[in-house]
Parts: sequence; C-alpha cells; structure tokens
Amino acid sequence: MSGTKFFMNFPVTETSHLLDAYTARGGYQALAKALQMQPADVTKEVSAGGILGHGGAAFPAGRKWGVVKLNDGEPHYVCMNADEGEPGTFKDRWLLEHVPHMCLEGLIIGSFALMGRHAFIYIRGEFDLPYRRMAAAIEEAYANNLLGENILGSGYSCDVVLYRGAGSYVCGEASAMLASLEGKKGWPRNRPPRLTVKGLYQKPTVVNNVETLANIPVIIGRGAAEFKKVGTPKSPGTQMISISGHIARPGVYEVEYGYSWEKFIYEDCGGMQDGAALKCIIPGGVSTKLLSAKELEGLTLDHISAVAGGSQLGSGGMMAIAEATCMVRVAQVIQRFYHHESCGQCTPCREGMGWMERILDRIVAGHGRMEDIERLYEIGEANDGTTICSLGDSAGYANTAILDHYREEFEYYITNGRSMYDGRLTVSDPFASALAGAGARG
Amino acid sequence: MEFFIDGVPMQAEDGQTVIQAARANGVDIPHFCWHPELSVPGNCRICMVEVEQEKGDPWFDIACNMPVTEGMRVLLHSEKIVRLRKQTMQFITLNHPVDCGICNKSGECTLQDFHYAHNGQASLSRDAKTHATKFFPLSDRIMLDNERCIMCTLCVRFTNEVSQSKALCAVNRGDHALIRPAEDANFDNDQYSDNVIDLCPVGALLSRQLLDHARVWYLQPTRSVCPGCERGCSIDIWHRKPEWALRALDPRLNTRIDRVTPHENPEVNGLWVCNKARDLAALFERPRATQATLGGAATDLATATASAARLIAAARHPVALVSSWGSNEELAAFATALAPHVQPFVKADHLPLPGEVVEDHLLIKPDKNPNRRAALALFPALPGTLAEAITPQTDLVLVWGEGFDGSAVPAGARVIRLDAYADPVQAQADVFIPVSIQTERSGHYTNFAGVVSPFTACFAPAAGIAHAEELFRAIGLALAPAVAGALTGPAA
Repeated sequence: MSGTKFFMNFPVTETSHLLDAYTARGGYQALAKALQMQPADVTKEVSAGGILGHGGAAFPAGRKWGVVKLNDGEPHYVCMNADEGEPGTFKDRWLLEHVPHMCLEGLIIGSFALMGRHAFIYIRGEFDLPYRRMAAAIEEAYANNLLGENILGSGYSCDVVLYRGAGSYVCGEASAMLASLEGKKGWPRNRPPRLTVKGLYQKPTVVNNVETLANIPVIIGRGAAEFKKVGTPKSPGTQMISISGHIARPGVYEVEYGYSWEKFIYEDCGGMQDGAALKCIIPGGVSTKLLSAKELEGLTLDHISAVAGGSQLGSGGMMAIAEATCMVRVAQVIQRFYHHESCGQCTPCREGMGWMERILDRIVAGHGRMEDIERLYEIGEANDGTTICSLGDSAGYANTAILDHYREEFEYYITNGRSMYDGRLTVSDPFASALAGAGARG
Repeated sequence: MEFFIDGVPMQAEDGQTVIQAARANGVDIPHFCWHPELSVPGNCRICMVEVEQEKGDPWFDIACNMPVTEGMRVLLHSEKIVRLRKQTMQFITLNHPVDCGICNKSGECTLQDFHYAHNGQASLSRDAKTHATKFFPLSDRIMLDNERCIMCTLCVRFTNEVSQSKALCAVNRGDHALIRPAEDANFDNDQYSDNVIDLCPVGALLSRQLLDHARVWYLQPTRSVCPGCERGCSIDIWHRKPEWALRALDPRLNTRIDRVTPHENPEVNGLWVCNKARDLAALFERPRATQATLGGAATDLATATASAARLIAAARHPVALVSSWGSNEELAAFATALAPHVQPFVKADHLPLPGEVVEDHLLIKPDKNPNRRAALALFPALPGTLAEAITPQTDLVLVWGEGFDGSAVPAGARVIRLDAYADPVQAQADVFIPVSIQTERSGHYTNFAGVVSPFTACFAPAAGIAHAEELFRAIGLALAPAVAGALTGPAA
C-alpha cells in the first residue's frame, strides 16, 4: 500500500512507543511550535487543516474547538475519547499502544488552544496495554516538562488525568463519557446544551477521538497547507482502518482518504479468506449501514464517497463478510450486542433493543413469523432520531440495512425454519427459555 | 415571545421549554419523566413534538428539553408525532405486566391514561415479557414492583435533588435496568421518602400503608393542614367517600385516614410533605376521650360546661394553658370568651420526639406545633418553667390540649381539662370535657411565616364531643352571669 502515513511510518519495536523514540522521530516539536503561537491561532490552524473527527461522526474538529469562547472566564476541558468500543473497531488501540506520545501531544496542544488547565483521557477499561503505555507516557511527559507546570518554559501549565472506564459501550458517547468521568452512571445527556457550552462539570468541554488528537501534531508540525495535500479536499489526511471478519489479512491499516476501497479490500487486505466471494462490508463499525460487494464498486475511502454509497465511514472499524454467511444470524449477533449495551435510560432504546433481539432470536430458533420483518422495521423507525444518544438509531440502521439488502434470507428462514445457507444456526433455543419464563430482570 | 402550537398563537417567556410554555398556555403535552421541580433527563420520550422549519425537513425533539424560540411552530398532532407516541406507548407497555386489576395505582395511573389517550392498541409483541422482582421492599414504608417500573427516574432524581438523601439509584442496563437503594444509603432515613409514591407515574412505588387497603375511587380528598410542625404544610387527607361507606365491615373503616398527600401550596410546602404528614392516621387515630367527667364521674356536656364556668368564676388566681394546636377561630373564641377571666399562657402541646428530625433543609421546622404563632399573637408564652406560670397562689388551672405535666399544679388547686385523647390522669381533673380533633372540625392555622392555611372537617365528631370553639363561647356565656353574681355577691 502506497501513500502518506502519519502514524504507521516507523518500525514497531519494543521501545518505539517510548519518549526517546518519539522525540527522535520529531515528536513534541509541534507542541513547542504551538506554545509559541496564540491559542486562537492554533485553533485557526487546525480549522484550516480541515480535519474531520475520526470518532465516527466526522464533525470538523477545528469548528468544534472554535465554538469555545476563550475569554468567558470559565475553565475549559479537553477530553480524549479513548473508549473505543464499537464492534469491529480497534484502530485507536494501535495508536494508544504504539504512539501514545503522539496522542498525548495532540491533547496538550488541544488543551493549550482552548486555554485549558486540565485535560482528560477516558480510556476503555478493557484496554490494558494501551492503558499502561499511556500511563507511562504521561509519566515520561511529566518528567520531561512536557506536562505539569510551565511546559517547556512557555508559561503554560497543564495536567492530564487518565481515567479508566468500567467497560460500557455507551460511555464512548461523549456526554455519557463525561457523566462517567464525573463519577455518575454513564448515561448520555440531552442536547441542548452542547458539551462545548456545558460539558464536564458543566463547563465548556471538547471531546475528541484519539486519532483526531493524534493528527493535531501533524497539522501543527507540518502546517495546515501541507496537511491538506494528503487525502481529498473534503476529507484531508489519512484514516486508520481496522478490518476484521472473513478477510485474508485482518489488522490495522493506514490509508490516505480517497484510496480505492476495492483495492484496499482485494489487494492490500488480500481479499477474502479461502478465496471466498465478498458478500458485504460493514464500513465503520456495526453502527454504519452495510454495503454490498456491488455497492462497493467504484467507491473510495473517504466520507463523501461513503455517504454517496449509502453509508458512512464511521470510526474506520471495517468488517468484511463472505458469501454464504447467514445475514439473519449476523443481524442477531449485532442486535444481541445492542441489547446488552443499551444503557436503559430512554424508552425506545431500552425496550426496543430487547424486543428486536427477542424477535431475531425467535426467527433463528425457527419460530419466526412473516410479520416479524415489518415489526423490525417499525422498531428501527421508532428509534430513529427519538433517543437521547445514537445507540438506538444505530441498531435500527444496522437491522434495516440488513433487511433492505437480504430480506429474502429472512423470509426463507421464517418460511423454512432454517437458514438458506447451513441449517438453523441455533446455538441455543432462546424461544424455549423465554417460554419457560427465563430472562429475569432481578 | 410568540410561538405556535398546532397553528394556535401562544405566548412564552424567555428561557421556557416547549412543555413549560405549553402548560402555561393550558396545553398539556404528555410526559412521564418530566416534573416541574426536577431536572430534565428526557428519558421517557413521550413528549416528542414536531417543529416545522422554514426551510428543509421538520425537526423532531422532546418538548421537555427544547427551548421555545420566537415564532417557533410546534405540532403536537402531526401524523408522525401521533405514530411516534403510539410507538412509545408500545415500548413502555412492552415489559410492563399491565396488571391493572390488582395494581394499587389503578385509577391514578398515568400509563393507563396515556394508553387510552395515545395508543389504545393491544401489544404488538408476541414474545414473553421480561420478569423482574415483583415485590422489593425499598424501605419500611415503600414497596417496589420492578415489573411496573418504566424507568422514568423521578424517584431517583427526587432523592438526589429534593430530599438529598441520594438513597436511590438505577442499576443494570437496558431492559434489565432497575431502581434500587444506593449502596451506602438507607431509604428509611429519608424523611421525604413517601413523595416518590406520588411521583411514580405507574404502580411501581407502593405505599405499604395503603397497599391493598383501598381503591382510590372509594376515597375522597379533604384539604387540611399537617399539624406536625410550625411549617403547617397543606395536605389532602384521603378518606372513604360517604356513598361507599361500609356497613357490614368494621364501621371504623369509614372514619379512617387512608392516606395523606401533599396539597400544592407554593407559599408553604410547594409540592412536597415529609413522612410525618403521611403518618397523621397514627397521630389522629389514638384512643379518644369521649366522655365528659366531673371528678372522674361521667356527666353530660352541659353539666360539665356549667361546672367549668362555676369553677372559673369562683377562682381568684385562675391560670389557663392555651393549646398551640387550636385553630385561629378557636384561639379567637378563647380570647373573647375566657381570656378576661383567666391568666392565659401559650403552651407547647407537642415537643420533638426522641430521634425525630428537629429541623432540616427543606420543610421540617423545630416547633412541633402548627399554630403557636397565632396563639402567641393573642397570649403570652409560658415562662421558662411551668412552675413560674403556676404559682402557689394559683387556685385553678384550665388546660386546653395535650402536653401538660400535672405535677406542677399546687395542692388544692382545681383543674379543668379540655382534651381530645384518652389520658390516664383525666379522672384527676375536677372537670374534663372531650373536644374534637382537627379532622372533625374546620378552621385555619397560621404557620411560622404568617401564612394562613385552611383545613376542613373530614368526619363528624362522636356524640358527647365538643368543638372547643363552641365550648369556649358556651363557657363564656355561662360565665357572664356567674361572674356578675360573684361580683355583686349573694342576692341580698
């Protein structure tokens, strides 16, 4: 794979994540440069770079920073969202493990740009190695005057709090993350007010994804104009992609935006395992609508192209699904996840996730009814834009996209009580246990 | 500012949300989790409304969290909103047991009302409902039925934001989420815990006092005042409707206080009352005094009244201890009819009980008498000790109400007692007259801040029990000729 790489451009060794190795690669020069600038000018430079957030929503990062009023007399916080929990997404983990200082440098620059005294890293509870490496990086940074009082003699002081989450998917949602950081139950908050107005401890807060912040030293170091030369005009820079599923060479890749999607799948990742045909791609974590192999033709890896194709690039957590995979079963597995992870706060998601899973469980157990298909659509529709956060929407999109593409598989399953591919695929018989009154809530 | 609901122009104040502005204009938007006194979690999603946009697609959001803007055009009955509300009701009833036939909330259940108003359709689910703990004792006073809970979190927010006990929380996720006591808190210690029963829009939080005792449609509320402290919270006392009076069962059930709920009064208690008000049944339904006595021997009211008048007229140094539980009307009657003939002092009928919360951040006040302020406006307070008021020269003590220590009465002094409750020392009084209690009479109390609140009779007093107000007038009338006689001496 050719093209510019901002992150995966050095040989990974046992020590390549340490401060010495990072500074030898030019690390923290961007911080030194930023500290010579005015905070507002740093934000302007990030805006000029045109970087879109890498957490999934692809909101312009510079615009998010620019909303915060620097002279409002309030403390400002920047929080690195390292709670990577979307199924199929594991690209931030690579950054945290291998370039923790680059992520940290981006966070410190961001905090400086927003005149913040304290910055936060909310890291996924299950991320053990990334946690230890980030903790060590913070320690190294303090020891070398890259954090703490009077950073690099600039007069700017910043402390970083590394907070380990307890392992809830919804805590990756920005407002739920802040609630969790405050020591409360990780429930999302309603907007308005926006988090940039009332975020952590009710103070203006910017929440950025790990990869977004890791890009900041690149933008500041190279300059926005140079940064924009990479990628496409509307999606500048690179995208870390984690790919899994029935792919021959799963793993984490870095591609320039605008790279050919098919080339990435069939050449860089080696196509499908055992030479199987590609059935579909879930592009950016299970929250994004799947794209069939045919829909993938001609698309490029960037936000504009993905939306034009009927989906989103999301968080870059890609899953490749081979032909002869039962999509009813795929829907069931995805829905089981959403049901398990729904926080239980708002009605449509709390009740809808379980309802959808019970319907899918029943279909898979061979007790489906044709009306179940319409019911799944209805539940998805009732969750579309009606929930506090986007977990409900996402589950609906995931299911309806599978139904839109592979409705005949559902109809076959319901009619015949088994999959059109390989029998009933029944791991257990949840219908039988439901009839027996199982599923007690406590 | 002007905005529109379903095309009708309305006025809103700056900063109001759509639900607040709609209510201010008399339009009710359905809601479960929203409450005017609590924070806005926006979790029930039933208040979803459509906002028409000048350009582009309409916008959908919850009315409880959406600020009104100038010229905003809100739709409550668009096709999409009607469908969304129906779908939300389908979700809410999905795992709810719909056991209205045995639910204590039946008749007052918002879920039931909204189902008929906005759904009216049988459940679309063909799958088994999830089950949860049917009866979880949340405290000594409250039972939680988890299956009926719709996770509106009103109860959790109440304990966090109003009572500040932080005694409740939500545990687990998704449709396994449950309301539970917080790990390091005890809901029994929350002096306002029973308010969550009223707040609960469904039958999930149940009063163990009322549970299985009565259906709300058999009951009626009567406005009253809690006499538990000088706050004088406005309350509703719920008791059996006359048309549903029981004949075959214990007739005392007809005069029982079935429950007490707050009566909204922004000047006094807002929307809440403490648990002491909820326990008024125990306070009022103690064994009553029903018989007038003279030196311990039964007599009738008229004889007792005349005897009391005679004793007062004959006394040279009579002292009266005035009840601080008397109504404004009773105190005024006392002042007019008896005060010229006795030396009155206001006494405390009730003092804080051992272990009772004396004062707190919300409603509870230190003086445990409802009308001391009004009494003190008319009569002096007792001096430091009772002995200072009742001197060795005192030859008559008239005691009105409870909280009297008889040991301070000098030997030979006569005692007249007016009390509502059975008392082992009542026989020692020269004259004892049983009087009515608050639930048997109407009147007003003046609270510590000077706010006057009315209370209304719920029940008629039993035969032989006098209303103190009438009694004072009667004694006063009897006293006038007796006093005149005493002044002029025996007929020459």
